[in-house]
Amino acid sequence: MIRLENVTKSYSSEVVAVRDASFDVAKGEFVFLVGPSGSGKSTLLRMLNRQDRPERGAVWVAGRNIVDMPAGRVPHLRRNIGNIFQDYKLLLEKSVFENVAFAQEVIGRPTHVIKQQVPAVLDLVGLAGKEDRLPHQLSGGEQQRVSVARAFVNRPLILLADEPTGNLDPATGEGIMRLLDRINKTGTTVVMATHDQRIVNTMRKRVIQLDRGVIVRDQARGVYE
Amino acid sequence: MLSRLRYILRETGDSFRRNATLTVASIITAAISLLGVGLTLLSQHAFDNLLARWEGGVEMIVFMNPTATPDQLQLVSDALTAQDQFIESYTYCDEKCSLEEADRIFAGEPGVRDLLTEDTILTQFKAVPTENTDVELLRQVSDAFSELPGVYDVSFAEDQISLITQLQSFFGFRLLLLSIFLLLAAILLIWNTIRTAIFARRREIEVMKLVGATDWFIRVPFMLEGLLHGIVGAGLASIGLWAWNSQWTTGVQNFPDNSGFSALVVVDGYDQTVMLIMLAIGALAGAIGSGIAASRFLDI
Ligand SMILES: Nc1ncnc2c1ncn2[C@@H]1O[C@H](COP(=O)(O)OP(=O)(O)OP(=O)(O)O)[C@@H](O)[C@H]1O
Ligand SMILES: [Mg+2]
Repeated sequence: MIRLENVTKSYSSEVVAVRDASFDVAKGEFVFLVGPSGSGKSTLLRMLNRQDRPERGAVWVAGRNIVDMPAGRVPHLRRNIGNIFQDYKLLLEKSVFENVAFAQEVIGRPTHVIKQQVPAVLDLVGLAGKEDRLPHQLSGGEQQRVSVARAFVNRPLILLADEPTGNLDPATGEGIMRLLDRINKTGTTVVMATHDQRIVNTMRKRVIQLDRGVIVRDQARGVYE
Repeated sequence: MLSRLRYILRETGDSFRRNATLTVASIITAAISLLGVGLTLLSQHAFDNLLARWEGGVEMIVFMNPTATPDQLQLVSDALTAQDQFIESYTYCDEKCSLEEADRIFAGEPGVRDLLTEDTILTQFKAVPTENTDVELLRQVSDAFSELPGVYDVSFAEDQISLITQLQSFFGFRLLLLSIFLLLAAILLIWNTIRTAIFARRREIEVMKLVGATDWFIRVPFMLEGLLHGIVGAGLASIGLWAWNSQWTTGVQNFPDNSGFSALVVVDGYDQTVMLIMLAIGALAGAIGSGIAASRFLDI
């Protein structure tokens, strides 16, 4: 599903965010990206949906090298990739329903599909009955659930999560992880960057560890260390 | 398709409301600049009416009495032909032709125009001089036929035209220059309004890009917004132009006869053409301003 081949990305001559990284992620896998702050986790995730481009190497997503994919095709690539962030990135003046519906609206899904799929996915993430709330009327965990619903509503092949539990207390974070696990079990490939030792250690999924941009460990059923 | 249309209209409407101050500023500026362009075109057309008689390089007109006989006309015609050294060409403007011309010349004074009929109108020989013939030479040549029977009078363009053309180019050029600068300001304001609108919605745009909205989908509501600024501005300018023109036309009718302004009006529907031109320029300005803003600031 995802393959990196000798990928190097630097922001300037001094800052090399990712250096010569290579790995494969099969369809349906769940991968943790770990490493200290500034080790290149977010940069790596951003290269998977063409928010960033490496100077060297190839990034294969769903059978396509996306490094020199024409800009006009990038939207179609992104329709297959869901994104979750530490700060949720919800639209503050839109309701829960509208936030999720937005992701379908802007890729031209017809209204009757939206009306059917949004409630279903809100139900899945446990937000049934809170459709009309605004983000500020929700707890952090609930807001993150909205963003999971938004990332998942278009049934992406891949879900990229950048420290999705970073702002949540442990119990709430675990709730989000159970959700991501369920989504993963539907066949969606999940790549998640995290600092959360406990989560990595309890989930026992594949762990890719970065240090100053270099992959120093790639371990199946790994722990945080 | 329908949901998409609804989306675009909703976004454009929201943006108008959120950004009311700048929106009003850009529409007003667009309206005033377009009104300037419109008034320039309109006044040029009015001046052209004033000069209708002298179109096509005509420098000398021999006016014939309404009572002139065919023989007398032939005599003048022969005399003009004989001067082919000085007169490049000439045409005869008969009663019908002269009446049509009067429609334009007396557009602002319908009362005067109504007095003219086939029996009272002066017909005209219009002469275009050869290249090297100056007006003084033409005046001397004119002695040969100004005394012929049936001739009412001989007029020279120079006596009438120079002041009018000077006025025309003086006002036309400066008004147009002013309008172009204002139009530039309008485009910049539209650009800035759209830029602000994009900035206000950068979170939405970021999310849209992440979930795979195409650039055009993101761009269209903003471009439509700018286009609307231009079109609404042109609409206001059209109302202004209409009011201006009808007041001026009424005003000219109340001027004393022989004020020389009687032709300086537009009543032939040209004002509608000008409105269409303003609409086109307005839409273009809006599209340029918002198009540049949208392509430049959507990379966020
Ligand atoms: N837009 C940018 N411009 C310049 N340098 C950047 C940019 N983004 C990241 N960097 C640098 O690249 C390196 C990797 O950053 P990145 O955000 O990928 O790290 P991270 O592993 O996600 O860190 P954290 O755990 O703190 O989120 C850092 O040294 C950072 O300063
Ligand atoms: Mg990061």
